[in-house]
Amino acid sequence: MIRIERLSFGVGDFQLRQLSLEVAQGQYFVLLGPPGSGKTIFMECLCGLRKVESGRIYIDKGEVTDLEPRARGIGYVPQDHALFPHLSVERNIAFGYRVRGYRGEDVIARVAEIVDLLGMRHLLSRRINGLSGGERQQAALARALVLRPKVLLLDEPVCALDEASRQEICSELQRLQHQLGLTTIHVSHNIEEAFSVADKAGILGEGKLQQIGSIDELLRKPRNEFVARFMRCENIFSGEAVSAGPLPKSTTVQCAQTQLVVAGRHHGQIKFMLRPEDVLVLAGDRHSDAVENKLRVNLIRARDCGNYVKMELKGAIDLVAHLSHAAFTELKARGGSNLVAVIRRENIHIFPA
Amino acid sequence: MLIITDVFYIDKKAVVTVLTSNFIRHALWLSIWTSFTATFIALFFAVPMGYTLSRFRFPGRTLVDSVIDLPIIFPPLVAGLTLLVFFSQSVIGRWIQENAGIEFVFQPKGIVLCQFVVAASFAIRSAKTAFGDVDRRYENVALTLGCTPWGSFWRVSLPLALHGIIAGGILTWARAFGVFGPLMIFVGSFRGRTEVLSTTVFLEQSIGNLEVALAVALVMILVALIALTMIHLVGGSTEVKL
Repeated sequence: MIRIERLSFGVGDFQLRQLSLEVAQGQYFVLLGPPGSGKTIFMECLCGLRKVESGRIYIDKGEVTDLEPRARGIGYVPQDHALFPHLSVERNIAFGYRVRGYRGEDVIARVAEIVDLLGMRHLLSRRINGLSGGERQQAALARALVLRPKVLLLDEPVCALDEASRQEICSELQRLQHQLGLTTIHVSHNIEEAFSVADKAGILGEGKLQQIGSIDELLRKPRNEFVARFMRCENIFSGEAVSAGPLPKSTTVQCAQTQLVVAGRHHGQIKFMLRPEDVLVLAGDRHSDAVENKLRVNLIRARDCGNYVKMELKGAIDLVAHLSHAAFTELKARGGSNLVAVIRRENIHIFPA
Repeated sequence: MLIITDVFYIDKKAVVTVLTSNFIRHALWLSIWTSFTATFIALFFAVPMGYTLSRFRFPGRTLVDSVIDLPIIFPPLVAGLTLLVFFSQSVIGRWIQENAGIEFVFQPKGIVLCQFVVAASFAIRSAKTAFGDVDRRYENVALTLGCTPWGSFWRVSLPLALHGIIAGGILTWARAFGVFGPLMIFVGSFRGRTEVLSTTVFLEQSIGNLEVALAVALVMILVALIALTMIHLVGGSTEVKL
């Protein structure tokens, strides 16, 4: 378990402000944030490589805020792995033991245990410069795990890898983490990594933790516009609650040139979002049973994004919709087609005031 | 091409003179041991100074950096003149000479000091660049793996910077071995005492023995070639960065 209480740190104009976070024993936490949001600085503070201005860090039940990095019980894999290029893979892995004065059979046995766990015995005699990205990742992980850390910190561990290797390593990380029951913090700017491995995730931005929760919460119930945009939601609108809605516990919201019905009671100016995959798009002549939020729209552009088709729709409000290939093909839409966008009120998320 | 011209210019008599002269043998030995001593002393200072300059920010750092580079750009003669004035005119210099019992002026020790002053900048500059090229993340990881700051320097930073430091050592030695002007001013060129190969070349050509001067110059080139090859072999592939 690692607990961070109101951690603050500044460097130049950049500030991490009052960060609080608790990662339970055996939990895999992914800290997401755009480049430059301070993720690496945060990790370095946890490692003790940067002295925090205020706040406390606890690992298990002991406070480690003022301890040296070597005394914290942390396994750290920095970005690009930082494997020592003047040592072989084996010596890299055994480094932590050797600097602590262990020699001989103890070191060999422990290194053997960890390389077998990672299935990398064939790499032991290799030099670092000859390793592929995935092999470097394995070696860096083995070096961090060999000392049996209480907490594993991974800084962008797969960012330098190709897509296939990334997925493979993410699966490997998850397997290891479950097998060893390790408390893990993994930082990344890539939300797909969080989908692959996270038990829980957080978004770091503008120097503070914007939100902590499950991936589903971050996607569907973002606390603010920053989180919504980071989670790739482009349908973010402002409006004014004008009256009670036509359905129980609903509100009619004036948004640009149209009125939308949203769930719940709201007053005054509100900001809300709608995930692109929650926009239902129908041909202009198709009938929908939905009683609220049917908007006439024109298709401006459709782009194949691999797993889905991204549609840009122009109407009383501009929308982005993500459709499966099958749904898009069935729609037979092309640029300028008249369509109907249906937005279910329960899919509209109002940002907390 | 230039060296080949020299080879064809010298005659058998000049070669015999160089091989049999006790003074020239002494100058050769003096050149070798003083230049290597100056290089080792320069490296002894260069490693901590290079590391400090590459890793730490402190008031006056830029000034220190500039002062270290000064000997690279000012004429070597100025170094000799400055040393002579310091040890013969200043209170501290005279105290060192007279009370501390360490005599430099017109002494072999002065050759080492001269070579150190003229050449140490190359060692410090190279060490600074070499340590600057070592990513701090290596040191950071070493700290998390159990190293103390000294341990991370010794086990990670120094081995990774070693090639650059050796390259600096080669440059320093080459500069020290060939130094001439400041030696003429600070230690003179007394046969059998403070005469090194570079001053031998000057002395021989000044009395008209051009063939002997060229033969000595070829010895210098040969010694430099052997030494540089050996250092390269010991140090592995080195890349000189200034």
